[in-house]
Amino acid sequence: MSGVAGVASTTIAMLLGDARLPSGGHAHSAGMEPAFLAGVGHADVRALLAGRARTSSLVEAGAAVVAMRVLSGAPDASTSDRSGEHAARADLGPGNGNGNGNGNGKFGADRTAELAAVEGAWAARTPSKAQREASRRLGRGLLRLAKATWPDEPAITACAALPDPSRAIVLGAIGAACGMNPAELVRAVVYDDAQSAAAAVLKLDPVDPARTVRWVLDACEAAEPFVAEVAACDSPDAIPAAGAPEAEGWAEAHNLLTRRLFRA
Amino acid sequence: MPEPTATTVSANTSTRALRLGIAGPVGTGKSSIIATICRSLADELRLGVITNDIYTDEDARFLRSAGVLDPERIRAVETGACPHTAIRDDITANLLAAEDLEADFAPLDIVLIESGGDNLTATFSPALVDAQIFVLDVAGGGDVARKGGPGIARADLLIVNKTDLAPYVGVDVPQMVSDATAAREGRAVIALSRTDAASVAQLKAWVLALLGSHRGGTHTPQDPGPMAPHFHADEDGEGYFHTHDEAPADSHSHDGHGHDHGTHGRSN
Repeated sequence: MSGVAGVASTTIAMLLGDARLPSGGHAHSAGMEPAFLAGVGHADVRALLAGRARTSSLVEAGAAVVAMRVLSGAPDASTSDRSGEHAARADLGPGNGNGNGNGNGKFGADRTAELAAVEGAWAARTPSKAQREASRRLGRGLLRLAKATWPDEPAITACAALPDPSRAIVLGAIGAACGMNPAELVRAVVYDDAQSAAAAVLKLDPVDPARTVRWVLDACEAAEPFVAEVAACDSPDAIPAAGAPEAEGWAEAHNLLTRRLFRA
Repeated sequence: MPEPTATTVSANTSTRALRLGIAGPVGTGKSSIIATICRSLADELRLGVITNDIYTDEDARFLRSAGVLDPERIRAVETGACPHTAIRDDITANLLAAEDLEADFAPLDIVLIESGGDNLTATFSPALVDAQIFVLDVAGGGDVARKGGPGIARADLLIVNKTDLAPYVGVDVPQMVSDATAAREGRAVIALSRTDAASVAQLKAWVLALLGSHRGGTHTPQDPGPMAPHFHADEDGEGYFHTHDEAPADSHSHDGHGHDHGTHGRSN
């Protein structure tokens, strides 16, 4: 049965943004080591993180939100009116989401195909193969954790039916299992990206760690004007398609190195 | 090799490969010991290897180039500059790699997991490995074994490596082994040199005995530290429970400990 009743969306957002979450994330720098190796320095980090928060992070967040919508609502036990159900899913609000997975049913083939389409839309918006692979590795770690934590949630089971779901899709499945508020899911994704990158700076080329906290908050602030719009995404086509070509190039170059501290 | 028997098979230790960790400071010879184990056992057992490098995939490449195992059976895990975390606190990447190896080459007998060389306090989580070897070498100084620490004191096996170098670094090997044995309250110690066939045979016998007791369900994964030794039961109350009465004659009796179900483990 669902273990989420009574756990608030905000708590799940904090869980997902916590570096102590055991999902293998500590081996990733959210693009920071690739950037540093390409010549980015401390003076550039603030702008880099803000730029990432408005581009790549929103692609991730949008894909997570759409995946959450696909997996929210009752499993396909009955022939419910899909469009009405979809509207209901979009209505998820704070404290309103604990009834999603009823723990009994399963999502059918339609829902799995819908989820695969979200993964496809995310992949199309993530042109760097190195970044896709890194995200799928993070997704595996998160999925392992999710299966252990919410073993009976249909949203998690449906996500696990995909061959190699990316981080965004797994985060969406966790959001569905836990009834997360879409805006909080978006903010959790943006925050996690920024904090992973800022924490990596402290390993790569340390500064006063208090300085990195300002960078993280500035990145979150940069994304804030877009949160409502991204949280409203309800189809793969609606996922933002903002790119960061230079960072994608850095990621590809980093992936070829035999000496590095971080996976990506 | 003894077959698991229905009465002694333990659900979570015997249905998959034995996972054996090799930890110890940088440069003490962990990769070399893995190569030695592969060389002595590759003909009779199905092996896989996972390396945890801090900065490079050099250990994996060294082992692949050593030609002791199909290169596909050697996987590198990247640790984000936290080799300690990857084998103890957040073992996700290593568990996934172990599950992948076991699935890709099923059935495997042993998965050897090498830690990224870290300091004296780095040991494996018992949730990742069934047993662990801690490695020191004579060149690191004869007094290191006496200093103790969780790996030295309570790993399933301590290896004092590179004994062939002892004359050149002024270390008295019997004294170092004696210090180590005292620090370990009698737990197993092997003085090893890859050029000393007798010591390699001793290591091989230890690994085979461990595999036997793993399969027999009589081996209990132990956490060497940093906490004091204590009994581990999983949350379903199964898995690590066993009775010594049912142990096969050839079983590896760990370190001579006797314990009752549900009580703290070591009598020594």
